[in-house]
Amino acid sequence: MTRFPANDSSASARRRWRPDQQWEGYLFLLPSFLGFFVFVVLAVLMSLGISFSVWGLTGFRQWAGLLNYQQLMRDPVFWQAFWNTAFYIVTLVPLQLALGLTMAVGLNQAIRGVLFYRLVYFMPVVTTIVAGAIVFRLLLSTQGAVNVLLATASGFFEVPFSAPNWLGSSQFSKVSVVLLTLWKNTGFTMVVYLAALQGVPRELYDAAHADGASSWQRFRHVTLPLISPTTFFLFIFQMIGAFQLFTEPFVMTEGGPANSSLAVVQYIYLTAFRDIRMDKAAAMAWVLFVFIFAFTLLQNRLQKRWVYYESE
Amino acid sequence: MQLKRTMVVGLLLATTLILSACAAIAPQSGGEQPAADEKVVLTWAFWGSPAEKESHERVAAAFMEEHPEIEIEFWHQPWNDYFTKLQALWASGDPKVIPDVAFLWPTPRYAAEGVLENLDPFVAASGYDLEAYWPGLLESAKFEGSVYGFPRDIEVNVIYYNKDLFDAAGVAYPADGWTWDDFTAAAEALTQKDANGMTTVYGLAAEGGKWAKWVNQNGGAIFDDYVNPSQCLLAEPAAVGGFEFFAGLMANGVAMRPADLNQAGGDAAVFASGQAAMILQNTSRVSAFNAAGLNYDVAVAPIPAGGKPWNGAGGAAWVMSSGSDNKEAAWTFIEWLQSDGGGETIYTTAGEIFPALQSVANSPAFMTDAAPANKQAILAEAAASGVGGFGYFPEWGELSGSILGPGLDKLWAGEADAATLLPELCAQVDQFLADNGYPK
Repeated sequence: MTRFPANDSSASARRRWRPDQQWEGYLFLLPSFLGFFVFVVLAVLMSLGISFSVWGLTGFRQWAGLLNYQQLMRDPVFWQAFWNTAFYIVTLVPLQLALGLTMAVGLNQAIRGVLFYRLVYFMPVVTTIVAGAIVFRLLLSTQGAVNVLLATASGFFEVPFSAPNWLGSSQFSKVSVVLLTLWKNTGFTMVVYLAALQGVPRELYDAAHADGASSWQRFRHVTLPLISPTTFFLFIFQMIGAFQLFTEPFVMTEGGPANSSLAVVQYIYLTAFRDIRMDKAAAMAWVLFVFIFAFTLLQNRLQKRWVYYESE
Repeated sequence: MQLKRTMVVGLLLATTLILSACAAIAPQSGGEQPAADEKVVLTWAFWGSPAEKESHERVAAAFMEEHPEIEIEFWHQPWNDYFTKLQALWASGDPKVIPDVAFLWPTPRYAAEGVLENLDPFVAASGYDLEAYWPGLLESAKFEGSVYGFPRDIEVNVIYYNKDLFDAAGVAYPADGWTWDDFTAAAEALTQKDANGMTTVYGLAAEGGKWAKWVNQNGGAIFDDYVNPSQCLLAEPAAVGGFEFFAGLMANGVAMRPADLNQAGGDAAVFASGQAAMILQNTSRVSAFNAAGLNYDVAVAPIPAGGKPWNGAGGAAWVMSSGSDNKEAAWTFIEWLQSDGGGETIYTTAGEIFPALQSVANSPAFMTDAAPANKQAILAEAAASGVGGFGYFPEWGELSGSILGPGLDKLWAGEADAATLLPELCAQVDQFLADNGYPK
């Protein structure tokens, strides 16, 4: 403490604007702020402008008002991509949370080789998605390992079975993308949950145990409420991730067949760089932003009902 | 205190460096003005594998030998990045970085953006012969009636067949003028299944995108007008008949479904491994099949009773940037690239293209002793080239990539039948055309 004798003032004094003492601080921020300003702030503002204009390969042509947005609303492919993305959100978010939590609880026990299992389950997170997709494509091909396994199982239990075309049919393509994404992302959810589980105070379990709570009751009434801030964070994080899903459908199915696995961000990319429609693509990006923002805001409001903070 | 000052100076330096890095590109290259006796430097943009790049470099060397006053610089990118980066260069608007001559597809899309030079005046001034091209081919490089590029090659789709599999099944090799019925019978005889009912050899493996051949052979069409369409015609009986033939082969299990074909590595892979006895593909497969020493030949595609041969005329084209600052030299280069004895001959001799110029196709550059033996089949299909494979308006790529192609996926997957799918699909196409202001 003696090394900072000047830091004795009250909180209000510390908050006071003292440009003569702070300019070096801002100077330190400058390099990173410049990058942020040019490549983020400026780009975001420009895309808003582009979405309200006719914008060709060589730049601005004329203002278009709401034209791009109106075109978007009439575009059946956009709506299909939109519903596909909704499917990804309602399947991926709950499944990632449930699986991640289950894995975390399992690997929070004192079992032999727990570090090895944690490593194995986390490995997909740091694996190249393209390599993962190649393996998944092999597994899920019409005569691949998954179908062979299913066929063998159905033969054993004597249930009629027709091999699903995981990648080539519009009913199953989204499921394939979900499987790959789950494999890739659930390890991350697990690690965050593991950290949260280890933060739950031991004495609360002991107290619950003394009160005669079963292990399920301890999980339900001690663990779940205490890790709810983590659940909230992961919920928002994974929801935004699912909204912005791009690589997984892109490498797995290329959005097909019949656009059945096309995600919104992938359609934005195609519109911008295949169709050279920067204006329509910018409009789409802003519609996507409004949805993400609205859902995040909604969750933020709803959190009072189920997220428990110890300090409250 | 001294340390602090040093750090502040260092930070300022770093910031200046970042800023100057952003701004440096233009002035640096803009400062050099070519002296009067210096060579004209052209930037030449193309995509391709390392092998294709080598071939481009040979072409450039041959050109520079004939034209020492012009120096060719390369701008080479892999296919995946090529268009994105090229678009970024054009968007920058800086003539110093925009390539003078580029390889491009689809030409009308870029011509509509105003980044391509209208070649009509150069053609008129030099007397360049547009009749030398295969019929209908130049249509794919026109915009509003003017030529904006010269297709380097023409996509000629023929039937490749595996002679060993034909011999083993006791099926006669395809004959000129064979019909859809002949084809179906051969494909059925060639298809083999194992004890579990899994197909081990398919009669045919063809990409879904090859449908236009069957539709046009049968007298069908995509649009009433390919430049300024007012109506989708794919729901007409002749077009539906073409789709039914193609989808029927898949439904009967003699043709591989395109999604399975994709998973199996594409038509070249399944043909080389003997999983398919025939494929429908353009001439780009020849060099790979020859290198693999396959026992194969090519044949004309079968035609329906009362139908006619048809090949979709299209190919990526050499174009000139409207922002080029050396247009005369760029024209000299393009004209040489697209000449008998120039670039066309070198590419054809290398076995990389089927040439856009009829005279080169009929020259020793193409008519070699190498396989396939039946080169007449390729010439015959090329002679049957015409419009009908795609639209020649700027929005075609979007329509094809987002609506038409994905819509037909359901047909190839066996999830819909042609007679019900195509009226729905045509309604969507008509809606797209109306939304984009067609007919104009």
